[in-house]
Amino acid sequence: MKAISRHHGKVTVVDLSGKITIGEGDIKLRQAVNAILDEGRKNVILNLGGVSYMDSAGIGELVACFKRAREKDASLKLLNPNGKVQDLLILTKLQEIFDIYRDEREALASF
Amino acid sequence: MGRHIKIRLESRIGYVDLVHELAEGLARSAGFSKSSALNVGLAVREAVINAIKHGNGMDVRKPIEVSFEQEDDLFRVRVRDRGPGFDWAHTANPLDRENIFRTSGRGIFFMKHFVDRVAFQRRQGRGTEVVLEKRFEQAGRAGRGGEVMKRRKG
Repeated sequence: MKAISRHHGKVTVVDLSGKITIGEGDIKLRQAVNAILDEGRKNVILNLGGVSYMDSAGIGELVACFKRAREKDASLKLLNPNGKVQDLLILTKLQEIFDIYRDEREALASF
Repeated sequence: MGRHIKIRLESRIGYVDLVHELAEGLARSAGFSKSSALNVGLAVREAVINAIKHGNGMDVRKPIEVSFEQEDDLFRVRVRDRGPGFDWAHTANPLDRENIFRTSGRGIFFMKHFVDRVAFQRRQGRGTEVVLEKRFEQAGRAGRGGEVMKRRKG
Protein backbone atom coordinates (compact mmCIF):
# COMPACT_ATOMS: atom_id res chain seq x y z
CA MET A 1 0.00 0.00 0.00
CA LYS A 2 1.23 3.47 -0.80
CA ALA A 3 0.12 6.69 0.84
CA ILE A 4 1.15 10.00 -0.71
CA SER A 5 0.00 13.25 0.88
CA ARG A 6 -0.51 16.57 -0.88
CA HIS A 7 -1.80 19.83 0.45
CA HIS A 8 -4.52 22.05 -1.03
CA GLY A 9 -4.60 25.06 1.25
CA LYS A 10 -5.98 23.88 4.56
CA VAL A 11 -6.90 20.48 3.23
CA THR A 12 -4.59 17.46 3.01
CA VAL A 13 -5.40 14.82 0.42
CA VAL A 14 -3.87 11.38 0.93
CA ASP A 15 -3.73 9.35 -2.28
CA LEU A 16 -3.88 5.70 -1.24
CA SER A 17 -3.13 2.83 -3.59
CA GLY A 18 -2.84 -0.94 -3.29
CA LYS A 19 -4.68 -2.84 -0.58
CA ILE A 20 -5.34 -1.86 3.00
CA THR A 21 -4.92 -5.12 4.87
CA ILE A 22 -3.50 -6.49 8.08
CA GLY A 23 0.18 -6.11 8.78
CA GLU A 24 1.17 -3.52 6.24
CA GLY A 25 -1.56 -1.43 4.67
CA ASP A 26 -3.33 -0.81 7.96
CA ILE A 27 -0.07 0.35 9.60
CA LYS A 28 0.85 2.65 6.70
CA LEU A 29 -2.61 4.20 6.76
CA ARG A 30 -2.32 4.80 10.52
CA GLN A 31 1.14 6.34 10.12
CA ALA A 32 0.04 8.61 7.27
CA VAL A 33 -3.03 9.94 9.10
CA ASN A 34 -1.21 10.27 12.43
CA ALA A 35 1.54 12.33 10.77
CA ILE A 36 -1.05 14.72 9.29
CA LEU A 37 -2.96 15.08 12.56
CA ASP A 38 0.28 15.53 14.51
CA GLU A 39 1.13 18.49 12.26
CA GLY A 40 -2.10 20.05 13.47
CA ARG A 41 -3.86 19.82 10.15
CA LYS A 42 -7.62 19.58 10.57
CA ASN A 43 -9.03 18.71 7.17
CA VAL A 44 -8.15 15.36 5.67
CA ILE A 45 -9.39 13.56 2.56
CA LEU A 46 -8.48 9.93 2.01
CA ASN A 47 -8.51 9.28 -1.72
CA LEU A 48 -9.41 5.58 -1.99
CA GLY A 49 -9.55 5.56 -5.79
CA GLY A 50 -6.42 3.40 -6.08
CA VAL A 51 -7.34 0.94 -3.34
CA SER A 52 -8.30 -2.48 -4.68
CA TYR A 53 -9.64 -4.00 -1.47
CA MET A 54 -9.53 -3.94 2.31
CA ASP A 55 -9.91 -6.62 4.95
CA SER A 56 -11.44 -6.34 8.42
CA ALA A 57 -8.19 -4.90 9.78
CA GLY A 58 -8.14 -2.26 7.05
CA ILE A 59 -11.75 -1.32 7.68
CA GLY A 60 -10.97 -1.21 11.40
CA GLU A 61 -8.05 1.13 10.78
CA LEU A 62 -10.24 3.40 8.67
CA VAL A 63 -12.65 3.68 11.60
CA ALA A 64 -9.73 4.26 13.98
CA CYS A 65 -8.46 7.11 11.76
CA PHE A 66 -11.93 8.65 11.72
CA LYS A 67 -12.10 8.49 15.53
CA ARG A 68 -8.58 9.89 16.03
CA ALA A 69 -9.39 12.77 13.71
CA ARG A 70 -12.53 13.54 15.68
CA GLU A 71 -10.62 13.43 18.97
CA LYS A 72 -8.30 16.09 17.56
CA ASP A 73 -11.16 18.24 16.31
CA ALA A 74 -10.22 17.36 12.75
CA SER A 75 -12.44 15.87 10.10
CA LEU A 76 -11.68 13.02 7.76
CA LYS A 77 -13.61 12.42 4.56
CA LEU A 78 -13.41 9.79 1.84
CA LEU A 79 -13.00 10.23 -1.88
CA ASN A 80 -13.72 7.76 -4.68
CA PRO A 81 -14.12 4.35 -3.06
CA ASN A 82 -14.45 1.88 -5.92
CA GLY A 83 -15.56 -1.69 -6.46
CA LYS A 84 -14.85 -3.88 -3.49
CA VAL A 85 -14.00 -0.96 -1.20
CA GLN A 86 -17.36 0.64 -1.92
CA ASP A 87 -19.08 -2.74 -1.32
CA LEU A 88 -17.38 -3.07 2.06
CA LEU A 89 -18.35 0.45 3.15
CA ILE A 90 -21.98 -0.33 2.28
CA LEU A 91 -21.84 -3.78 3.89
CA THR A 92 -20.48 -2.41 7.17
CA LYS A 93 -22.85 0.59 7.11
CA LEU A 94 -19.82 2.87 7.31
CA GLN A 95 -21.14 4.54 4.18
CA GLU A 96 -23.67 6.17 6.51
CA ILE A 97 -20.97 7.43 8.88
CA PHE A 98 -18.34 8.81 6.53
CA ASP A 99 -18.73 11.79 4.25
CA ILE A 100 -17.98 10.28 0.86
CA TYR A 101 -17.35 12.20 -2.36
CA ARG A 102 -16.91 11.24 -5.99
CA ASP A 103 -15.44 14.55 -7.10
CA GLU A 104 -12.25 15.92 -5.55
CA ARG A 105 -13.17 19.56 -6.10
CA GLU A 106 -16.45 18.99 -4.32
CA ALA A 107 -14.65 17.22 -1.48
CA LEU A 108 -12.14 20.09 -1.15
CA ALA A 109 -14.94 22.65 -1.09
CA SER A 110 -16.84 20.76 1.60
CA PHE A 111 -14.58 21.87 4.49
CA MET B 1 -13.45 -33.35 -8.28
CA GLY B 2 -10.08 -34.22 -7.92
CA ARG B 3 -8.15 -31.47 -6.38
CA HIS B 4 -7.20 -31.45 -2.72
CA ILE B 5 -4.41 -29.15 -1.59
CA LYS B 6 -3.25 -28.80 1.98
CA ILE B 7 -0.72 -26.37 3.41
CA ARG B 8 0.71 -25.92 6.88
CA LEU B 9 2.05 -22.60 8.14
CA GLU B 10 3.50 -21.02 11.23
CA SER B 11 1.16 -18.52 12.89
CA ARG B 12 2.60 -15.40 11.30
CA ILE B 13 0.50 -12.51 10.02
CA GLY B 14 3.03 -12.20 7.20
CA TYR B 15 1.66 -15.42 5.69
CA VAL B 16 -1.91 -14.12 5.38
CA ASP B 17 -1.31 -12.57 1.95
CA LEU B 18 0.21 -15.81 0.71
CA VAL B 19 -2.84 -17.88 1.72
CA HIS B 20 -5.23 -15.26 0.34
CA GLU B 21 -3.47 -15.31 -3.03
CA LEU B 22 -3.44 -19.09 -3.13
CA ALA B 23 -7.16 -19.26 -2.26
CA GLU B 24 -8.08 -16.64 -4.83
CA GLY B 25 -5.95 -18.30 -7.52
CA LEU B 26 -7.41 -21.76 -6.87
CA ALA B 27 -10.96 -20.39 -6.85
CA ARG B 28 -10.28 -18.62 -10.14
CA SER B 29 -8.87 -21.73 -11.75
CA ALA B 30 -11.84 -23.72 -10.44
CA GLY B 31 -14.10 -21.48 -12.52
CA PHE B 32 -15.26 -18.66 -10.28
CA SER B 33 -15.50 -15.16 -11.70
CA LYS B 34 -12.73 -12.73 -10.76
CA SER B 35 -15.03 -11.01 -8.26
CA SER B 36 -16.21 -14.27 -6.66
CA ALA B 37 -12.64 -15.58 -6.46
CA LEU B 38 -11.66 -12.38 -4.64
CA ASN B 39 -14.53 -13.05 -2.22
CA VAL B 40 -13.18 -16.54 -1.56
CA GLY B 41 -9.71 -15.05 -0.99
CA LEU B 42 -11.10 -12.45 1.41
CA ALA B 43 -13.08 -15.05 3.40
CA VAL B 44 -10.03 -17.30 3.70
CA ARG B 45 -7.93 -14.28 4.69
CA GLU B 46 -10.30 -13.53 7.57
CA ALA B 47 -10.39 -17.18 8.68
CA VAL B 48 -6.59 -17.33 8.71
CA ILE B 49 -6.29 -14.04 10.62
CA ASN B 50 -8.80 -15.42 13.15
CA ALA B 51 -6.88 -18.66 13.45
CA ILE B 52 -3.58 -16.85 14.03
CA LYS B 53 -4.87 -14.18 16.41
CA HIS B 54 -7.76 -15.73 18.30
CA GLY B 55 -7.11 -19.43 17.75
CA ASN B 56 -3.36 -19.76 18.20
CA GLY B 57 -2.95 -16.50 20.11
CA MET B 58 -0.13 -15.36 17.78
CA ASP B 59 2.04 -18.26 18.99
CA VAL B 60 4.27 -18.97 15.96
CA ARG B 61 5.00 -22.48 17.27
CA LYS B 62 1.36 -23.42 16.77
CA PRO B 63 0.65 -24.25 13.13
CA ILE B 64 -2.25 -23.29 10.90
CA GLU B 65 -3.46 -25.83 8.37
CA VAL B 66 -5.42 -24.76 5.33
CA SER B 67 -6.93 -27.25 2.91
CA PHE B 68 -8.71 -26.61 -0.37
CA GLU B 69 -11.17 -29.07 -1.87
CA GLN B 70 -13.13 -28.83 -5.06
CA GLU B 71 -16.29 -30.87 -5.47
CA ASP B 72 -18.81 -30.98 -8.28
CA ASP B 73 -20.90 -28.11 -7.01
CA LEU B 74 -18.73 -26.32 -4.48
CA PHE B 75 -15.33 -25.11 -3.39
CA ARG B 76 -14.48 -25.84 0.22
CA VAL B 77 -11.70 -24.43 2.40
CA ARG B 78 -10.86 -25.67 5.88
CA VAL B 79 -8.74 -23.56 8.22
CA ARG B 80 -7.50 -25.29 11.36
CA ASP B 81 -5.70 -23.85 14.34
CA ARG B 82 -4.27 -25.51 17.44
CA GLY B 83 -5.50 -23.05 20.03
CA PRO B 84 -7.89 -23.39 22.94
CA GLY B 85 -10.76 -22.12 20.79
CA PHE B 86 -12.62 -18.87 20.57
CA ASP B 87 -16.24 -18.02 21.17
CA TRP B 88 -17.51 -17.71 17.62
CA ALA B 89 -21.15 -18.10 18.66
CA HIS B 90 -21.26 -14.90 20.68
CA THR B 91 -19.61 -12.34 18.45
CA ALA B 92 -21.26 -8.93 18.48
CA ASN B 93 -23.16 -7.84 15.39
CA PRO B 94 -20.92 -5.20 13.78
CA LEU B 95 -24.00 -3.57 12.23
CA ASP B 96 -25.59 -2.74 15.58
CA ARG B 97 -25.50 0.98 16.23
CA GLU B 98 -23.25 0.58 19.28
CA ASN B 99 -20.72 -1.45 17.27
CA ILE B 100 -20.44 0.60 14.09
CA PHE B 101 -17.47 2.51 15.49
CA ARG B 102 -15.63 -0.53 16.75
CA THR B 103 -12.20 -0.96 15.22
CA SER B 104 -12.36 -4.78 15.31
CA GLY B 105 -14.90 -7.59 15.32
CA ARG B 106 -15.81 -7.78 11.62
CA GLY B 107 -13.84 -10.89 10.61
CA ILE B 108 -16.55 -13.53 11.02
CA PHE B 109 -19.12 -11.13 9.58
CA PHE B 110 -16.97 -10.76 6.45
CA MET B 111 -16.50 -14.52 6.13
CA LYS B 112 -20.26 -15.07 6.25
CA HIS B 113 -20.82 -12.43 3.61
CA PHE B 114 -18.17 -13.61 1.17
CA VAL B 115 -19.03 -17.32 1.03
CA ASP B 116 -22.26 -19.32 1.15
CA ARG B 117 -21.61 -21.30 4.30
CA VAL B 118 -19.35 -20.88 7.31
CA ALA B 119 -19.16 -23.57 9.99
CA PHE B 120 -17.03 -23.73 13.13
CA GLN B 121 -16.08 -27.02 14.69
CA ARG B 122 -14.16 -27.43 17.91
CA ARG B 123 -11.87 -30.42 17.62
CA GLN B 124 -11.48 -32.04 21.04
CA GLY B 125 -8.15 -30.79 22.36
CA ARG B 126 -6.91 -30.06 18.85
CA GLY B 127 -8.10 -26.54 18.20
CA THR B 128 -10.82 -25.19 15.94
CA GLU B 129 -11.69 -25.84 12.31
CA VAL B 130 -13.46 -23.23 10.23
CA VAL B 131 -15.12 -24.57 7.09
CA LEU B 132 -15.88 -22.15 4.27
CA GLU B 133 -17.96 -23.23 1.29
CA LYS B 134 -18.84 -21.40 -1.87
CA ARG B 135 -21.11 -22.98 -4.42
CA PHE B 136 -20.68 -22.88 -8.14
CA GLU B 137 -23.78 -21.53 -9.81
CA GLN B 138 -25.34 -22.03 -13.16
CA ALA B 139 -24.27 -19.53 -15.80
CA GLY B 140 -26.61 -16.60 -15.92
CA ARG B 141 -27.99 -17.02 -12.41
CA ALA B 142 -27.32 -14.13 -10.10
CA GLY B 143 -25.20 -15.19 -7.16
CA ARG B 144 -24.86 -13.69 -3.73
CA GLY B 145 -24.44 -9.94 -3.92
CA GLY B 146 -25.72 -9.91 -7.48
CA GLU B 147 -22.66 -11.59 -8.91
CA VAL B 148 -22.80 -14.08 -11.70
CA MET B 149 -20.58 -17.11 -11.41
CA LYS B 150 -19.87 -19.32 -14.34
CA ARG B 151 -18.62 -22.85 -14.11
CA ARG B 152 -15.89 -23.53 -16.62
CA LYS B 153 -16.30 -26.53 -18.83
CA GLY B 154 -13.75 -29.28 -18.80
